[in-house]
Amino acid sequence: MHISEGILPLSVWASGYAVAVTVAAVSMRNMDMEEIPKISVLTAVFFIASLIKVPLGPASIHLILNGLLGVILGRRAFIAIMLGIILQAIIFGHGGITVIGINTLMMGTGALVGYGVWRLRHLVNFKKKEMIFGALAGAIGSVTSGSMLAAFLMTTGQAFNTIAEGVLLAHIPIMIIEAVVTGACADFLHRIRPDMLTGHRKSGYQ
Amino acid sequence: MALDIDRYAHVESPIQRWDPRFKIAALGLFVVGIALIKTIPVAVMALVLAGLILLLTALPFHFVWHGMSFVLIFLLPFFIVMPLSYPGQSAFEVLGLGFAWEGLRLATLIFTKAMAIVFVTFSMFGSSRFDVSMLALQHLKCPKIIVQMLLFTYRYTFVFLEEMERMFVSMRARGFIARTDGRTMKVMGHFVGTLLIRSFERTDRVYKAMLSKGYQGEFHSMVTFSAGGLDGIKAVIVLIMASALVALDYSGVFNQAVQGWY
Repeated sequence: MHISEGILPLSVWASGYAVAVTVAAVSMRNMDMEEIPKISVLTAVFFIASLIKVPLGPASIHLILNGLLGVILGRRAFIAIMLGIILQAIIFGHGGITVIGINTLMMGTGALVGYGVWRLRHLVNFKKKEMIFGALAGAIGSVTSGSMLAAFLMTTGQAFNTIAEGVLLAHIPIMIIEAVVTGACADFLHRIRPDMLTGHRKSGYQ
Repeated sequence: MALDIDRYAHVESPIQRWDPRFKIAALGLFVVGIALIKTIPVAVMALVLAGLILLLTALPFHFVWHGMSFVLIFLLPFFIVMPLSYPGQSAFEVLGLGFAWEGLRLATLIFTKAMAIVFVTFSMFGSSRFDVSMLALQHLKCPKIIVQMLLFTYRYTFVFLEEMERMFVSMRARGFIARTDGRTMKVMGHFVGTLLIRSFERTDRVYKAMLSKGYQGEFHSMVTFSAGGLDGIKAVIVLIMASALVALDYSGVFNQAVQGWY
């Protein structure tokens, strides 16, 4: 899910770059040397995981997992998304060089919102809360990115209104798949390697 | 899935010989120029020029085509969606939907610009080794830490692609079939989780190995750049092309595909 090259006017993609770079700089604050390979390797995994297809009737949907990225990397998820988007633009020509900023902003905000939702689990206490909050992070993360994509398209011009509506509709199945996969994954990690999840006492990421 | 964009970086051509720093800077500005174009004729000229640059790189056709096919899947639907969803007057009806020529013009413009940019991007990164391109980016003031992380990520992408394929094979061997149901999604969640755990444990080992080899947060490369006059000339040619395109576009010679856009 990304905005293609050639659609957005200069003002939008240039400010997209400015905002994305600023947020990335903030998300990288106080980064340890040790984190450089860790974030990079996890970014590679998410890059690969986004190639996984989940069948949806006759079609299939690619996993996005930006909510899960927030759950695991916390605020560092934003920089990981930026790396993923840059690589995607370089390797596949997906998105494109001028829209790296706006696409990072779109997917990265979803990841940060997912992280915010994930943190809320501390406020409650019940069994399997990791699964529920993981699912919520996955659902809300992907919906945030989808809504931002629709909003960017709509501000570009009326000609894109119908496409924007289509994008929002398409996010209903995406949201469900992201929720179930992220919830299952968060629950799985909580049982097996809880230290990988953010906010865990021994977690490397805060 | 071809992930190695630099597979044919060793091919001999004027673009491959071009100093990567000059190449990325000049072609990067060319891309910005293309992104500014608002008229179809100029966009077509840009596409032709971008195509010529791509031809100069001497990358094998099947390799380029494979890369383009991913982009085309995303771009071709525009030709159907845009004319049928364009607001306002429609020329005639197709299956009960109004078909607007303005929408088709818009789709053509987007398609042409996007393809031109993809051609240039392909020439830019397909003609140097990935690590050399990244190092060139660092010389162009891209933050060191980002460059380092891109290099790591790119390298480990292949490792985990292989790992993932192995895991899929073993899942299938145990009788897993992907369906549209909750179970499949749950299994996928666990699959991603397993992949994450394996990678996380691997990073520990990688990091320790790096430390033992004296890693202190910096990458040292054996690559050195040396630029000659020819590199500068190539850059100037590309920049002249880019500014000519933008100037021609803004001179008002051609009609813009506007209306409800920009």
